[in-house]
Amino acid sequence: MEKYLDILSILILVSSFALMANKRIKSYINTFRIQAVLISIAAGIMGAQSYAIEKRLDIIIVCVLIVILKVYYIPKMLHKTYADIEYKVGKDFFFNIPVLIFACFALVVFSYYCISDIQGIDKGQLNIQIVNSVSVVMIGILFMISRKKAIGMIVGFLVIENGLFVTTLFATQGMPFIVDMGIFIDMITGIMIMGIMVFRINDKFDSIDINDMKSLKG
Amino acid sequence: MGLILWAAPLSAILIMFLTKTTKAHHIISVLVSVIEVAVTWVLTYQVMVEGQIAYGFVGKLFYLDAFSIILLNLVVIVGMLAAIYNIGYLNHEKKNGEIDLKRIRLFYMLLYGFIFTMVFALTVNNMGLMWIAVEAITLASTFLVGFHNDKKAIEAAWKYVIICSVGIAIAMLGIVFLHISSLGINEGAGILDWTTLYDNADKLNGPVLRFAFIFILIGFGTKAGLAPMHTWLPDAHSQAPSSVSAMLSGVLLNTSLYPIIRTVSIVNKNMESSVFTGRLLIGIGLISLATAAIFIITQKDYKRLLAYSSIEHIGIITIAMGVFTPAAVFAGLFHMINHSFTKSMLFLTSGNILQKYGTREIGRVQSLIKVLPFSGTVFLIGLFAIGGTPPFSIFASEFSILISIFDNNNFILGVTIIGLLTLVFVGIVSTLFRMFYYNNREENVTSGETNKYGVAVIVIMLVIISITGLYMPEGIFNLMVDAQNVITGGI
Repeated sequence: MEKYLDILSILILVSSFALMANKRIKSYINTFRIQAVLISIAAGIMGAQSYAIEKRLDIIIVCVLIVILKVYYIPKMLHKTYADIEYKVGKDFFFNIPVLIFACFALVVFSYYCISDIQGIDKGQLNIQIVNSVSVVMIGILFMISRKKAIGMIVGFLVIENGLFVTTLFATQGMPFIVDMGIFIDMITGIMIMGIMVFRINDKFDSIDINDMKSLKG
Repeated sequence: MGLILWAAPLSAILIMFLTKTTKAHHIISVLVSVIEVAVTWVLTYQVMVEGQIAYGFVGKLFYLDAFSIILLNLVVIVGMLAAIYNIGYLNHEKKNGEIDLKRIRLFYMLLYGFIFTMVFALTVNNMGLMWIAVEAITLASTFLVGFHNDKKAIEAAWKYVIICSVGIAIAMLGIVFLHISSLGINEGAGILDWTTLYDNADKLNGPVLRFAFIFILIGFGTKAGLAPMHTWLPDAHSQAPSSVSAMLSGVLLNTSLYPIIRTVSIVNKNMESSVFTGRLLIGIGLISLATAAIFIITQKDYKRLLAYSSIEHIGIITIAMGVFTPAAVFAGLFHMINHSFTKSMLFLTSGNILQKYGTREIGRVQSLIKVLPFSGTVFLIGLFAIGGTPPFSIFASEFSILISIFDNNNFILGVTIIGLLTLVFVGIVSTLFRMFYYNNREENVTSGETNKYGVAVIVIMLVIISITGLYMPEGIFNLMVDAQNVITGGI
């Protein structure tokens, strides 16, 4: 079972590399959806395991929620938001894609270096899953700062959230159930608020390019 | 009792949603905030007598001790004063046709969501739930920051929600590592509770715990406005409606420091020394202080200047917590209280000035005392107070922080802080005092106060900060000593 989880954690990491390589808004929303599917499979395996051993249902419930929210609802909402705002073709990233991919590699090496130095994070032997999922968080942050469009920021935030979720899942078999639920509620309201903000930005600035927002300085 | 504290703001949101007159909204708002203060005072009395309150719905969900009750008091008292201020502020905006009934209702509903999340964050024992509450604070206050709905307000709100959400996400990573460090020790009901984490602090896995602390410091530090993660703060504070700015600066920043300070005491108990946390906190505090000093000197917008001054004071509090001697912790707590009242007072006053002159630019405000006799005077005195001149309370707490630093033989740190504080004072005097002069510019502002309730509120706050600088009631003193013992573990 551990082998599958290792493979899944690597696939999740690879999916965030793929996300970074996507040029268009539409394609990175779809990549995000693939990542969410992978996470839900991981959660499903863990959930089945914990149900078989301890008769705990909570991780399975969380898995169902991921499927509903991250695989179905949020990508759909992002596609809709994107379709509703005025579309302008333009380069959506500050640096070239190859440079960003190299930066991603550097981030993975960095988190490997940091985490392998900490004693006792997994009883003496390094947990590659934690390295992978912390790298996903880092790549999410890089994604946010590398995109110009407001929707890119939302997707970056979601990737950070995904990384956090897999870190909790792999490292601790999930947080207490009530905390998990609260995180979901927070996340869904957060994404909705950001979605509304995107509309307002589009309304006031005639684009969703965050480079236009430069009036507040100093 | 604690349930009323949670239920009152929630029911306020519901009743606001159902009522349809602005007058009713004002009455509900003031009534609920008074209930919150009354309940908190009863709880404060209980804490004074019993030391702590813990109810068990799930484990020990509702938890208050001397430290959290002090911050809770700040939230509800500043909340009540802001509620009274809001009556005049919103009526004036409504008269000018800037907002209508629906917008006022939305404002109040969001405001009480904001207050509820802050109260929840301070009264809950579980660290995961506290994280959820702090994230919910951001979400509830985003539209309050962007309430004016113009270009600048939208920009500020967008920055606020994005930067703070990412910051809080990093804090979550810290909490996950905190959880990892406690695996095998806290199982079952007490998982991630402050009380169990603190009681078992010496058994936690040290390296992982320190790793977690860095993430928690950066994450919640973003929300507390510590430099260099402060960039959302001046925008949000300057663009939000003034009563919201007062709440953001006066209580939200303290609420965000609360989890950091709690973690500091866990880490220090685990390591049996404060060197690790001390270096980080003092370093980040000094960066905040220096950043604020530089930006204050070159500032052209009075609300932004006050925002930078908040970064400065949060930096000072962080330094005090980094020094971590009992005297420094006591002084840091005292500074939290004083900053809360003084800065809220200044932001509320700046709201009166903004409504009168219609501008945030320092250069376009003139003869302030003549135009606004009460607000102008309070603003002038408040500037002296926030700059740290006696006899006001900020002076008392800054002075005690400095004494505790020198007592700790940290001369370089003390001298650096004094230098930076001088720079800040010079900055405030040289930029803001122009507002009180007459500079021959033709402006069509008539003299006279617009917000009568607001004037009453700021005068009350001025009295509070003047008295606490000279005299502290014994009950409050004992409560603060208890809070200091909660943080330091009674060394």
